[in-house]
Amino acid sequence: MADLAVGQVVADREYRITRENLVRYAGASGDFNPIHWNDRVARAVGLPGVLAHGMLTMALAGRLLTDWAGDPGAVVEYSVRFSRPVVVPDDDHGVAVQVSATVTEVRDDGLVAVDLAVKVDDQKVLTQARALARPPKTDGGS
Amino acid sequence: MAIDSSAVGRVYPPQPYEVSREKVREFAEAIGDTNPVYVDVEAAKEASHDDVVAPPTFVMIPVMRGFDILMEDLGIEYARVVHVDQYFNYSRPLVVGDRLETTTTLDAIRQVAGNDLLTIRNDVHDAARAHVCTAQATLLIRPEENGDG
Repeated sequence: MADLAVGQVVADREYRITRENLVRYAGASGDFNPIHWNDRVARAVGLPGVLAHGMLTMALAGRLLTDWAGDPGAVVEYSVRFSRPVVVPDDDHGVAVQVSATVTEVRDDGLVAVDLAVKVDDQKVLTQARALARPPKTDGGS
Repeated sequence: MAIDSSAVGRVYPPQPYEVSREKVREFAEAIGDTNPVYVDVEAAKEASHDDVVAPPTFVMIPVMRGFDILMEDLGIEYARVVHVDQYFNYSRPLVVGDRLETTTTLDAIRQVAGNDLLTIRNDVHDAARAHVCTAQATLLIRPEENGDG
């Protein structure tokens, strides 16, 4: 079994979300809620501007998870709470999302519980972001 | 106006969804994920899958179809919806060619500060009726109004 310790940070990475990413995600996911692409509608419902799909942020944190585990089939449970909206500015840089994964439990059945910290400007945008996964095989992978 | 609480417990007709190669590719590209198991059959087989698999959150596509019929039934427009939380529990990853059925249940409605909080469960099975994924979400529904303030 992988030599993992509670409290160990197993992966961390920065992702960027631009308006282009939102358009692509809308098309790919079928989520065409206008608050994710239309400033006028977003403001009319009291939002500061166009927001990233919560599920896109969840997918990016999921990427860190599957990149670490090595395979999407390794993920047994995955859950998040969308605690703070991710505002995506209408420019070429978009918004930076910092994701890191920390081991919280190494179970007897071989599964590992991981806590994901997902932040924009040092503030958590997802809370209670947790996963249960089979850890990567210790065959010399990175 | 609050949502009719008698809707709690309502189970919506199973929605079919077929996992297609090009949709999985499109989704993986949209989330910027270059893992070859999402596009390359050989890479997927090397990772002991039968065919190309989908990223974990891809299952939200069939789940959203369940949301759609529930929203239509309750007369809710998506512009009033805020996604509060999302949970997935997988028996296996989604594989290209899967013919899925998603059954959606409205588990609970709570009123909080003038908003409705819906707890929705989606049970995703394959063509052999084997469990693939269970999803649970909380959606916050803002009241109907012209909210300029």
